[in-house]
Amino acid sequence: MASTSKVGSSGDEESEEEEELEHFDDFTLASSWERFISEVEAVCRQWLADGPKNLLDKGAVHLGSSKNMYKVKSELKYLLKSYGMEYYFEVNKSGKVTDWDSIFHDLQLCFGVKEFLVIAPQSASGVVLDAPEASKLLSAIAIALSNCSSLWPAFVPVHDPSRNAYIGIQNLGTVFTRRFEADRICSQVPVKLMHLEGLYELFVSKFAYSTLDISMHIFKVRFTMKLTYQTLPYDDDDIREVDAENIESSEDRGGDSNNKTQWDDDCPWSEWYSAEDPVKGFGLIAIWSEKMVESSLEMAELENSSPHDAEKWILLPNISDGSKGNRIGFASQLCLLVDALDMSFEAQFMEDFVSVENPSSDNLKSMVIPSPTVLDRVLKDLLLQGVKIPDFSKGEHKSSRYIKGAPLECLFAQFCLHSIWFGNCNIRAIAALWVEFVREIRWYWEESQSLPKMPSNGSIDLSTCLIYQKLQMLAICIEKKRELNEDFQDCVGSNDQSPAAIKEDVRVVEGSTGLQTPDDNFDRKRDSLLTAEGLHESGTAMPRHNGKPENTGSTDQKPSECIRIMPDQKPSECIRRGSSGAVGSMMLLKSRQSMHAPFTQESPLMTEDMHEERLRAIEAFGGSFDFSAQLERDILSSDMSAFKAANPDAVFEDFIRWHSPGDWENDENEGSSPSGNLSVDGLKDNWPPRGRLSQRMSEHGNLWRKIWNNAPALPASEQKPLLDPNREGEKILHYLETLRPNQLLEQMVCTAFRASADTLNQASFGALKQMTMKIDQLYLTIASTLRPLQANIANSETIEDLRRLCVVFEHVEKLLTLAASLHRKFLHAPCLSEAIFSDYYNYYLPKMGMGSSEEVDVQKEFEMKLQVRNHERQVISNMFTPPTANQSWRKVLSMGNLLNGHEPILREIIFSMNDHVNGSHYATHTPSVHQKEIETYRMYMCGTSNDLRVALSVTSFD
Amino acid sequence: MDSSSGQSEFEYLFKLLMIGDSGVGKSSLLLCFTSDTFEDLSPTIGVDFKVKYVEVGGKKLKLAIWDTAGQERFRTLTSSYYRGAQGIIMVYDVTRRETFTNLSDIWAKEIDLYSTNQDCIKMLVGNKVDKESERVVTKKEGINFAREYGCLFTECSAKTRVNVQQCFEELVLKILDTPSLIAEGSKGVKKNIFKQKPQADVSTSGCC
Repeated sequence: MASTSKVGSSGDEESEEEEELEHFDDFTLASSWERFISEVEAVCRQWLADGPKNLLDKGAVHLGSSKNMYKVKSELKYLLKSYGMEYYFEVNKSGKVTDWDSIFHDLQLCFGVKEFLVIAPQSASGVVLDAPEASKLLSAIAIALSNCSSLWPAFVPVHDPSRNAYIGIQNLGTVFTRRFEADRICSQVPVKLMHLEGLYELFVSKFAYSTLDISMHIFKVRFTMKLTYQTLPYDDDDIREVDAENIESSEDRGGDSNNKTQWDDDCPWSEWYSAEDPVKGFGLIAIWSEKMVESSLEMAELENSSPHDAEKWILLPNISDGSKGNRIGFASQLCLLVDALDMSFEAQFMEDFVSVENPSSDNLKSMVIPSPTVLDRVLKDLLLQGVKIPDFSKGEHKSSRYIKGAPLECLFAQFCLHSIWFGNCNIRAIAALWVEFVREIRWYWEESQSLPKMPSNGSIDLSTCLIYQKLQMLAICIEKKRELNEDFQDCVGSNDQSPAAIKEDVRVVEGSTGLQTPDDNFDRKRDSLLTAEGLHESGTAMPRHNGKPENTGSTDQKPSECIRIMPDQKPSECIRRGSSGAVGSMMLLKSRQSMHAPFTQESPLMTEDMHEERLRAIEAFGGSFDFSAQLERDILSSDMSAFKAANPDAVFEDFIRWHSPGDWENDENEGSSPSGNLSVDGLKDNWPPRGRLSQRMSEHGNLWRKIWNNAPALPASEQKPLLDPNREGEKILHYLETLRPNQLLEQMVCTAFRASADTLNQASFGALKQMTMKIDQLYLTIASTLRPLQANIANSETIEDLRRLCVVFEHVEKLLTLAASLHRKFLHAPCLSEAIFSDYYNYYLPKMGMGSSEEVDVQKEFEMKLQVRNHERQVISNMFTPPTANQSWRKVLSMGNLLNGHEPILREIIFSMNDHVNGSHYATHTPSVHQKEIETYRMYMCGTSNDLRVALSVTSFD
Repeated sequence: MDSSSGQSEFEYLFKLLMIGDSGVGKSSLLLCFTSDTFEDLSPTIGVDFKVKYVEVGGKKLKLAIWDTAGQERFRTLTSSYYRGAQGIIMVYDVTRRETFTNLSDIWAKEIDLYSTNQDCIKMLVGNKVDKESERVVTKKEGINFAREYGCLFTECSAKTRVNVQQCFEELVLKILDTPSLIAEGSKGVKKNIFKQKPQADVSTSGCC
């Protein structure tokens, strides 16, 4: 009605007259079509003039589905309707139209065009429902485009939207016109059109004029085909064995979930949880590229061929992000453990969390402790002693040691892992488990039973967490206590200086030792003549000080020297005890007998806190030389006693020469040489060696000398042990029983992170470099984030850092699950798993918030297409396991080209027919314009046996 | 109760704690009690500890006796040792008055601060009565102090062993008289998941 505005001013009362006038102005109405054409023309001219580059600057919209596709849109009005005209174009115009590899817009594929226009009404359906309207619209555009001599094809959507039907037109210069038509059959595809043969005939029928039997003639057409296959989803039914079992299991489906095999059953984390397979399946595209087909028979043959005959295979991994919903894994549990750490500051002792009466906050009340049966099961699992001590280096990463935790297989690491999966890892559940755990540990202690999953020997590794050190120490104490019980069953307490005789019913278990169990045989040898043989056999205990072992060898090698020394020993050898052999050619200063190194007690093992305590003590007492001797008093005294026993005629200076050569200053720079190469004769000449004690050793009241004076001559085997297992063990239990919740949780967090990482680290994922790198990074991140915890400076900031660490852990865990899944699927084609993982890694990295800072579209799904090389085809083919009876029953196979019994989920075919222009009837009219071959007929067919879409383009001479 | 091997058979486990100034003879007392010897010991570093199995009042007991360092420098680390102690022995030297006054000035306050059990038995012990000539704290003063703080009192000598056994025995008897402490003592008794009888309460077996 806009056209009436001119006369509208004549007044309201003249409304009837207006109608007349409007009729009179009819020419505007008649020209609206023309005006629409010119409007289209104007827009097209503008777009043509701009070119892709400027259009991009003007805000062309990128089409997500295809890489280089953009579109611009303009709205047009025609009569009362408004239309949207869209121009689709590619920035990078290259490649052939039939190239299946690149991602195409649907219409490009259908009609074999590159850039194109689409005009659609701005309505809900977005299609033109009225056939005359559609053709009118199309001719309007055709006129407009030819006016601006554009060769763009234009399409109009028609019919029902679900049919995806289009009509279209394209000017090809002045002479030819291409017409397009596409439609779809959504159901009840005629049987004839299910097969290649029928589809070929459908195409041929478009240009074969007669309705004669097509098979009688030869029509050379070009043909290419793309088949898409999809692996069946890995659901429970598929994994179940086929055959008779299936029938049975269908009855008790609920009960047999235990027999179900999970994909990750042999992955290291499966002991704790089962991860969803991130690889949901694979799509496979098999492409038969250009072929000349002459008859329907040939097509029939082609339908029988295997996908292995196709020229090209392209793999489409279907990988789920797993970002939806809460993923259960180590990361989620570690996060709960961090929450528990946060709560742990609320109480003084672990028992306070367990007791029901006084939960200090509502938060605690809501936390549930799993039932006693569950607790019992977990404890049994935890304490179950394996046949042998597990391999503690298992799963260890080169950076594991930077995390102050415990080895994965050990008791405490296992406790931590059990805890994070116990209940929902709340502080009350942890407390309940811990209290029971410690009670069990006490049982092992009281009953002198070996601690499960703990080494009972070796030295204390101070890089581990304190609880682990304590447990190792306890295991060692238990071992020593056992030896002690076995050896001294009948003489309890007799090793103390005075017998325990306070009360008859009082027994003192204190002090006695089992360090080097003296067996009779050994004693006899020691006290008898020292023969070379005897020396060898008695070298069972390793003395702490060097200088001895090579010497036992040298006496063997030089029997003559040995014999010469032996007469010297004669006077005292009957009282020489606990000797491990002579020290080189060193002689005692006073008696001029050869100096013997004694067997000494091992220095007592110390845990970290004991070292610290000593350090504090030294600081507290001013760090004087005497005080450090005071600290070492027990050890010194023990060594001196042993030395005295081995060298009955020794003086203090002799001990210093052996024990602390630095404190003996030699005038002639010989004699103290431990090499033993100096000839005995040479020594004799210089006897006695001239030298003196160092300043600090010769000071008046030197503590060393005092200790020396008080030390009795006792071989190590008869001494009180330096490490009193009863005492140390009880101390450790006290530590465990009174451990502060936050101290426990701090160590648990460290150990749980390390153990979880070590567990994941055991997964095999082949040579995926990025994964190895990420794991390396993870360890270092964990180590640096946990450092404040080790220094006992946990605050709210640390807790936040730990929560972030859990997120980092989760990302790595997810990637690792994928890496492991890919690795096992592509064991024989590692290149494929590497390529897929690499692509996914690059896709995922921005999501981890560790890559570039710019925010990437996180919603984007992971998509990749990977060309499969010939030798890798078998691996892919094996993934298409033959469908079970159950599955094939569901579906009637109706297409050919089966891959291990799988029919394609989508078949796409392009037929095309080319004509030499000069050879055809067109040529007579345009002898010089078009001399080249042009595509006269093209048909794209896409679908399955019950869904077929056909798009036809025909070039004709107008 | 589980059949257990020789020495480790006991019904209750009690923790006793010894506190007091440096040099009052805590370690000597302990050594004297556990091994009947008297040695001139060097100062205790941190905390020392002895276990003794005794039979008192017809009950087999395991006593874990903690000997803390008297030096103030180590005071901080001892707080956890008050945890779960059923008996606390406060020791002073009868020949040094300051060790006695410090008990009320420092040590008694620490007990109030750290002890987790209200019923915990306290005992005041005046040591070194063998040096009668040097005595500066009278027995009467000790008794008054004990009355004020509600604890047991005795005087003894680690050197001559006078009263040492009686002192510990007295304390243990008193603990055995206190039901809440008995309950605590039986909690520490061992338990094994693989040999467990169905939820048999361990404490009941000790009442025979």
